[in-house]
Amino acid sequence: MNASLNDIPVKPAAPKSKSAKLMTKWYNQRYLQVMVLLGVAWMIIFNYIPMYGIIIAFKDYNLITSISDAPWAGLEHFKAFLDDDELTSVIRNTLGISLIKLIIGFPLPIIFALFLNELRSLRFKKAVQTISYLPHFLSWVILGGILATWLSDIGIINKLLLSMNFIDEPISYLAEPSYFWSIVISSDIWKELGWSAIIYIAAMAGVSPELYEAATIDGAGRFQKMFYVTLPCIKGTIVILFILAVSGVLNSNFDQILVLKNQLNDSASNVIDIYVYKVGISQGRFSYSTAVGLIKSIIALFLLLIANSVSKRLSQTSLF
Amino acid sequence: MKKRFPKKFMVLALITSLVFALAACSGSNNNDKASNSPDASSPAPSSPAESSAAASDKPAGDEPGWKGDTSPIKFDWYLNFAWFPNKWGVDPTSQYVTKKTGVDINFIVPAGNENEKLNSMIASGDLPDFITLGWYEEGVKKMIEGGLVEPLNKLAEEYDPYFFKVADPAKLSWYTQPDGNIYGYPNASSSPKDFQTYGSNFLSNQTFVVRKDMYEAIGSPDMRTPEGFLNALKLAKEKFPEVNGQPIIPLAFHEFGDGGNSSIMDYVQDSSMLANFLALPRQKDGKLYDRASDPEFQIWLKTLRKANEEGLLAKDIFIDKRAQMEEKIAQGRYFAMLYQRTDFAAQQNVLYANDPNSVYIAVDGPANSKLEDPTLAGPGISGWTVTLISKKVKDKARAVKFLSYLISEEGQKDLYLGEKGVSYDTIDGKDQFLPDALNLMNTDRSAFDKKYGASYTFWMLMDTNMNLQWAPPSVEPAKQLEDWTKGKLISTSEFDLISPPATSQEGINSTKISNAWGKALTQLLLAKSDEEFDKIYADFIALRDKNGFTEIQAYKQQKYEEYAAKLKEFSK
Repeated sequence: MNASLNDIPVKPAAPKSKSAKLMTKWYNQRYLQVMVLLGVAWMIIFNYIPMYGIIIAFKDYNLITSISDAPWAGLEHFKAFLDDDELTSVIRNTLGISLIKLIIGFPLPIIFALFLNELRSLRFKKAVQTISYLPHFLSWVILGGILATWLSDIGIINKLLLSMNFIDEPISYLAEPSYFWSIVISSDIWKELGWSAIIYIAAMAGVSPELYEAATIDGAGRFQKMFYVTLPCIKGTIVILFILAVSGVLNSNFDQILVLKNQLNDSASNVIDIYVYKVGISQGRFSYSTAVGLIKSIIALFLLLIANSVSKRLSQTSLF
Repeated sequence: MKKRFPKKFMVLALITSLVFALAACSGSNNNDKASNSPDASSPAPSSPAESSAAASDKPAGDEPGWKGDTSPIKFDWYLNFAWFPNKWGVDPTSQYVTKKTGVDINFIVPAGNENEKLNSMIASGDLPDFITLGWYEEGVKKMIEGGLVEPLNKLAEEYDPYFFKVADPAKLSWYTQPDGNIYGYPNASSSPKDFQTYGSNFLSNQTFVVRKDMYEAIGSPDMRTPEGFLNALKLAKEKFPEVNGQPIIPLAFHEFGDGGNSSIMDYVQDSSMLANFLALPRQKDGKLYDRASDPEFQIWLKTLRKANEEGLLAKDIFIDKRAQMEEKIAQGRYFAMLYQRTDFAAQQNVLYANDPNSVYIAVDGPANSKLEDPTLAGPGISGWTVTLISKKVKDKARAVKFLSYLISEEGQKDLYLGEKGVSYDTIDGKDQFLPDALNLMNTDRSAFDKKYGASYTFWMLMDTNMNLQWAPPSVEPAKQLEDWTKGKLISTSEFDLISPPATSQEGINSTKISNAWGKALTQLLLAKSDEEFDKIYADFIALRDKNGFTEIQAYKQQKYEEYAAKLKEFSK
């Protein structure tokens, strides 16, 4: 579609002033601009206008009065969060899960994409790719139910491990806090591996074959080509995705944890998002939970900026 | 090489990931805001009911107002219960009521979390005509304080004095707010007078049940003492290690939630089946009593801990939600349960149909050291739900008139027995269900609801005392459970409405404490030794005191005294 729109003939125009040039450019792109407008409008309506609601973090808001009528509360809600008994466990769980996810879950799709890229049989490659990203389309609600059954003391995992004599008696995995992080991280990787690899596979498809040919002539082997050709060529994509992943460290997968958590593994499963949900939606303390959400967003913004500037210094690649 | 970097893909990658990242970042903290920003500022449109001519032709107090106008009207009625499966107008009973009164109803039932739905309706100010929700819900207070609902007494004075004739004055007084108005009318409510009249027939929901065949096979042991209790569980596990190829679960409770477990102790609602079985009083000498710290209660908590140590508590019982529990009940996988009998009535019917011997029967469960009878929670004046009329109601006059009809004896009879000749008839001089209908009701309740819609399928304003005159005798397997509870219950209405509002400082602290209890309870049961148990309990008490437990108790004490005084008035 892009191609056909780009093909609209542009009349060669006489040199004009800068602003006139811009106008002509815009005019020539008018159909594309209209399409962009929709996206911008969507963003303003759903991402920017609701930001007005952030001010309830500084107010004592209840459902009945309007946001503007609520009395100001200053930083009271922020202080209350810092004094909260659950603060340390919430932060530990959020950071723990996210960091391990980042360390293990971030490189895996790259490695997977690298290997997939090396496959000679196109049909096999496509099949693997499709199969590996299918789990992405299952919602966590469904997958959570499946996992709960598999991981229960009479579930398939226990049966398997028992029959292979790895364990002596069945373990109720979801009931043990010590297993919770590994379950969350590994099931997330299993579900999203293929999907996250797509973007790298796309980037690899853009690497010029000439480079590989040149490398072959220079006597590079398969792994050398992977390391010295493919990886450097997709470095930009990797860095950008890494910056974004770092800024998302305080986000944990809300749906996933909500369906997998229970009273027994609470000490390992209580993360910021769950806490905000519990306090805000279930207990109706909107101001307080907005304050917590805001703290989270601000920290995420700083993480993003730091990661961005570090990568700018080190590799000259950055988001902005 | 850098120059060769595929720009197109990078831009594509950037945009897709940015969109997702932004959507994800904003998702978590915008959800609640998005729902309450839109309509908050829009002024409430004046109700069309203002123009209604009803005010001019005021009916007399003895005349049922609803008879004056039976032109068709459709009310929206919100039910704060996601599980409610029925629709108005599908079955003969509701069709009959619509024909009679002209009122058609569109039930609005939340698809997911009830609190979310109700909160978003309150925030947007967009309430339907009628709202029915549990009296214990925070939403009741919110709607009243926010001025979103009509005072029923004012509506009745203006449009339908008949309301005062059919409403129970005790219930009205019970629900009178500090401003002197009444905003909601309860269902399933029993005043102290009702207790005197019907008390001997009152049933409690709270039962301790065991699987009949297993219990008899291990010699029907006494389970009232800690030793007997543990022993019976052990025997059952030894004798029946598996049920249909899956391991037996010796003991089960209601599901564990944030605030604990209502079978053992739920701090939010301060409800505890175990404490009731131990006959622990909720007040001593007029002072609220902390039942969880009672030595008897501690003995039994430690007994349950011991049960876990001996492998008698399965991990499942801490994890399973109600749906999984119901599945396991229907399979008969539990040996014993401290569980509300009406919550597994359907599963009980499944077991009964398979094998009448495999059902659950109520037996004497945990008791205090004097082996006293339990003091189970019975019907109270607060009832179960309250129904309110919103300020946005389409037609005030018709709404209050319909409400009066529903709580009148005629309305109750229509909703309980249905239409004469369809679901009931006068047999042997008594109005009662036709045999076909009765049979279906006792075997497949949900099919009965769809086919007849009687027997309070629409329970929003049911009066569970008035219907006793038409009620059929109950049958097995429900009967044994019901009979067991007779004579073992007390009224605890004065403790119903004493919790502090959730957003007040006391309320916030009380939620904190109850969440801490929810965590402590599982740790207590899973503790490896009695010493560890004592330490966890001491830690909890320390946390409780740190979070203003004294102030909470003071608030509750004051409320309790108010309501106790009110109740005394009624019994005069």
